[in-house]
Amino acid sequence: MPISDSNGRYGAVAQSLHWVIAALIVAQFALAWTADDLPLGLEKLKLLARHKSVGMTILMLAALRLAWRFTHAPPALPAGMKPYEVKLARWTHAALYLLLFAMPLTGWMMSSAKNYSVSWFSLFTWPNLIGPNEHAFDLLRSTHDVMSNVLFGLAGLHILAALKHHFWNKDSVLLRMLPFVRSERRP
Amino acid sequence: MMKFTHRLALPLLLAGACHLPTAQAAPAAGYHADPAQSRLEFYGKQAGAEFKGVFHRFTAAIDFSPDALAAAHFDVQIELDSLDSADKDRDKTMRSADIFDVARFPTAHYVTRSFSKTAGGFRALGSLTLHGVTKDVPVDFEFTTAPPGARLDGTATLKRLDFGVGQGDWKNTEWVADEVRVKFSLHLVSK
Repeated sequence: MPISDSNGRYGAVAQSLHWVIAALIVAQFALAWTADDLPLGLEKLKLLARHKSVGMTILMLAALRLAWRFTHAPPALPAGMKPYEVKLARWTHAALYLLLFAMPLTGWMMSSAKNYSVSWFSLFTWPNLIGPNEHAFDLLRSTHDVMSNVLFGLAGLHILAALKHHFWNKDSVLLRMLPFVRSERRP
Repeated sequence: MMKFTHRLALPLLLAGACHLPTAQAAPAAGYHADPAQSRLEFYGKQAGAEFKGVFHRFTAAIDFSPDALAAAHFDVQIELDSLDSADKDRDKTMRSADIFDVARFPTAHYVTRSFSKTAGGFRALGSLTLHGVTKDVPVDFEFTTAPPGARLDGTATLKRLDFGVGQGDWKNTEWVADEVRVKFSLHLVSK
């Protein structure tokens, strides 16, 4: 598989970043939902610590991904798409990119506001973004929660759209992001 | 300043009258910490990241003169309920029966036994009673006279599990470090 995007397909870098980040986001929801149901205690501390480490990983990968995206034009969308579909796709992608940064950043700020510095898998500690502040924490927490719902909705839309392209339009939009397949379909 | 020279001029006269551990020792100046200008901080580590907390309420009776270590004596009493780590949830957890158990053990008490000079300042050896357990804990500090009072800045490191601070799940040291650092900066006023 080529490193860069070519022949209407995403390359190895774009695909790896896409799927690794996708898997980490699934893990983030699982960790957050499990932790939310737990009382204060060591188990909750562990899960939230993992959630933070994974979140910071996503933030770093998102930065890499955005840099890659700016320097490597993605394959063009199928020619037959209606203008509103193109617009919807572009806005969804832009919002997803935004959330890849906004989710970890608000989470990081939440931790800072609650005086819990963020460690990355106990290997190093990130600096605090803001000082301890209960009011700021509450505000950040609601923002983080609302954005997580938006992310959940947009990710669902993103998945449904990919499936629609694959099964309904029968184009290569899904296949070009899948590793180890050779698409015979029109782009 | 007056008190300082007074003290130097009268050691022998006072030696007989003062309550001293040994008859030969020079007297130590007596102070207590001014709570408004003193800080007692603790640094713990959880999930790999350090956090800072403070004890808002404590008393410190400090008898100390750099040239009269034999007569020096610290007596520090900390109200554990006054802990504050800038997070209500963590504070509640730390006060609970599984950690400090402040309902049963409301105070920590540190009393010194001996003092020695170190490269950077002084070292006190004393016993800390915390959570119903008494153990020796050395404290390193610097003493600075700032007439009419003085400053005392120092640190101590202790292992929380030596005192049973952390029961059940909280015995875990992978997620909550055993080692806790205590840092203090006391503004001393003459008694």
